[in-house]
Amino acid sequence: MIWYLLTLFILVAIAPLLLSFIKMFKMVLLFKKPISIFQGYRDFSKLMNKETIISYEASELTHYAPFLVLSPLLVVMLFLPPVVDVGFHVNFVDAFTITGLISLSTFFLMLLGLDSASSFGGMGSSREAFISALVEPAMILTIFSVSMIADNLSVAQASINLAHHFPKEHMASFLFAGISFFILLLAENGRIPVDNPETHLELTMVHEAMILDITGIYLAIIESASAIKFVIFSSLFVSLFLPFGFEYSPLIALTIFIAKLFLVAIFVALIEINMAKLRLFKVPNLLGLSIIFAFLSLITFYVLGA
Amino acid sequence: MFCFDTLSLVFVFLILLGAIPNIFYSSGYLSHVDRKMHYIIHYFSFILSMIGVVISANALVFLFFWEIMSLTSWQLILTDTKDKNTLKAGRFYFVMTHFGFIFLLMFFIIVTDGNLEIGFDEMKNIASSFEYPTMLFFFLALGLLSKAGVVPLHVWLPYAHPSAPSPVSALMSGVMLKIAIYGMFRFLLDVLYPWPLEWGMLILTLGSISSLVGVLYALSEHDIKALLANHSIENIGIILIGFGMGMIFDTLGLETLSSFSFIASLFHTFNHMSFKSLLFMGAGSVLHQTGTKNIEKYGGLIKSMPVTALTFLLASISISALPPTNGFLSEWMIFQSMLSSSHIGDISLKLTIPFAIFSLAMTGGLAIACFVKAYGITFLGLHRSSNAKHAHEVNFLMKSGMLLMSLVIISLMLFTPFYIGWFDKIMVEFSRVSIYKEIFPTIWNMHSLGTAGGVVSPLILLIALVIITTLLMFAYRVSNKKIRFHNTWSCGYKTCARTQYTATGFAGPIRRFFSWLYNPDEHFNDSHYEVHVKPLFEQSLYDNIAKLSNSISYWVYRFAHFEKSRYSAMIFNLLLMVLFNYRVFINGFSWATFVLEFVVMAMSIKILIIGDRKK
Repeated sequence: MIWYLLTLFILVAIAPLLLSFIKMFKMVLLFKKPISIFQGYRDFSKLMNKETIISYEASELTHYAPFLVLSPLLVVMLFLPPVVDVGFHVNFVDAFTITGLISLSTFFLMLLGLDSASSFGGMGSSREAFISALVEPAMILTIFSVSMIADNLSVAQASINLAHHFPKEHMASFLFAGISFFILLLAENGRIPVDNPETHLELTMVHEAMILDITGIYLAIIESASAIKFVIFSSLFVSLFLPFGFEYSPLIALTIFIAKLFLVAIFVALIEINMAKLRLFKVPNLLGLSIIFAFLSLITFYVLGA
Repeated sequence: MFCFDTLSLVFVFLILLGAIPNIFYSSGYLSHVDRKMHYIIHYFSFILSMIGVVISANALVFLFFWEIMSLTSWQLILTDTKDKNTLKAGRFYFVMTHFGFIFLLMFFIIVTDGNLEIGFDEMKNIASSFEYPTMLFFFLALGLLSKAGVVPLHVWLPYAHPSAPSPVSALMSGVMLKIAIYGMFRFLLDVLYPWPLEWGMLILTLGSISSLVGVLYALSEHDIKALLANHSIENIGIILIGFGMGMIFDTLGLETLSSFSFIASLFHTFNHMSFKSLLFMGAGSVLHQTGTKNIEKYGGLIKSMPVTALTFLLASISISALPPTNGFLSEWMIFQSMLSSSHIGDISLKLTIPFAIFSLAMTGGLAIACFVKAYGITFLGLHRSSNAKHAHEVNFLMKSGMLLMSLVIISLMLFTPFYIGWFDKIMVEFSRVSIYKEIFPTIWNMHSLGTAGGVVSPLILLIALVIITTLLMFAYRVSNKKIRFHNTWSCGYKTCARTQYTATGFAGPIRRFFSWLYNPDEHFNDSHYEVHVKPLFEQSLYDNIAKLSNSISYWVYRFAHFEKSRYSAMIFNLLLMVLFNYRVFINGFSWATFVLEFVVMAMSIKILIIGDRKK
């Protein structure tokens, strides 16, 4: 139990760190003067102390939606796969529930975008709706495939199974599923080939457009929600697709886990450096690729494993 | 004459759950109706006839109540006859529903061997000795699915629902479509029981196509009630996916998985009843207050109609299958039943199921997009027209109808084990093993039956969400931040209703991506952009049938101007055809004689009727 709570605490705590780390690493690679790695915390505390400005046009929904964006993601945090071999983990929640909770958070975020009567909000919501509609099938097919490889649909149990006896005979479908999931990680978190988290140019933005009219503590909540979403996806990726280092003693296992999270962050940063943002109508091609890899993974599993 | 087994009672309960909040809503809505007596008589006989259908124990009673149900709902659509579209919709509905009725009648005439008063058990014996069971299946499917609104028999829904008064649309979409699902359970599980694999595959395919087509057309709609009607097509598709999986598992001998899928589909039937009724009631309230069905004319209604907005939000979350609502739970069960397809031995069949999973997942994603659009454009932002500006909250009775229906949704969410236990009893009655204990070992967790199956715990999820949200809000209240109000920033221009995103704009990316399906008819007039989507099925299937029947009637007209000797020749040919068909029924079908008879028919038509072509 203590390790469960500790992991939970550490994951929530390093959420802003990971995003600032990506930003810093990108700046280093671009020979810019890098921002501090603690910039995320600074932004957070600054936003917490600011007054909140709410638009006249917005309704009651704006007062509640930010909490409803964050809370499903926090609930997902409780259900993440265990990091250390000892102790407590939640084993009664499967991957569908997790995707459902993430969609619930996105649902309220999209409503929030439409609430302020600004055309940017609508634009962002519309694009987000388009992208997340295409993410959904890829996500479910990938989950299906992983659950069969790991012989359990519950993410916690699946990651334990993978760590303890890795099914080498299903390596091909495992790799395909991994590729598919990594594309989803980029798409769901609004990283570069799909959305540019740093831009404030209306032609390109998706996530930023929805929250353009949110300020102060509400913005802090939404920003931490997106940081936590990144942690959720990267720790799912790490536990399911990089299943090693689990069996060591708790402290080492935890350190390895965090190192792997940073590894994912480095990968994301490298992709962001080397790719341009796709046009909105090219995004379905990327997501289609992810769907195809998920299908391939299933097909190889059935054909080779049956 | 009547039977009260568990299946019937469950569906009676479904009708009552759907009808009682609706009666409240309806009495609030009555001031809006011109022909009150006409409305009340047909409304109550509609509800009673639906109950009659599900408790009938023989074919005659079933068909009688089925027809009463069709006729009363047809009259209810025609309540407001001032609108020209209503008449068209009524006519369309009348034709479609009787198209289905004819097939049901043919089904019953065959399975009862002409004696319509025998019970369902005897029908089973006659059906099992009948030589062409697939024909029976097709009669049944055409009869029931045209009522349920499955692609390609779905085209009446987007016309009938917008024309009907809102409580009636809620009843028709929420409850009447489910009567067709009742028919599927009753006659497939009982009368036509051992079925080949292909039937299940057909139902699964129809379900997958319906769910995708329904949600895609819903996205392109601007009429809020037509949007909801298209969502009914989608949800009936989801129910049929569950049903089809159940049929496939049953053929393959995986009995518990099959029961699980049937239970999932029954649960979704209940859930769809609850949230779709509530959505139609909400749409009706909005329509009642603003006087328009066009979604682009709403906006900002959450400020003036908080109760409607809140209940509509609950229903939207539920229909988008987001946890912890009941819609999520039933869709979870259907997903689980499809994931259990890894138990199937046949590899080619195994590889086709992921396509159904794909379509269901895609449907889920698009449904979220569609309900963000429906909710956001209707209730959020600024008022888009003066109609929306003058809207008020609806009267007490309508509000209480909506609140009661939200209670139904919440009860389905909280008391899932109770409902599942009841559905399990139906399966036991169809001589299957009870699987309630495997699904719910404790009331907290809901298990799937596949070996690598998942678990969900609806109550824990709900409690966790509520606790965390409350804690967050409490922390916010305690911190007591200063709040300032200001206009929304819109690049230095004045924020007004016309700068908002429209529903057309919101669906823009998806419409563009699926333009091969929509084939949208776009035009600009004076800086106004208009886009109209004509449904593909209506265009290609129904319009072409209309064209074909036109040309047939042209030829009939030509025939009418023949001389008398040719008439007698035509009668002779008709007799020949009847004889040949009779022979097929008596002696069975064989290709050799068919070809021979075809040649004889063709020759006699050519020689006797058409004759030499004169120029």
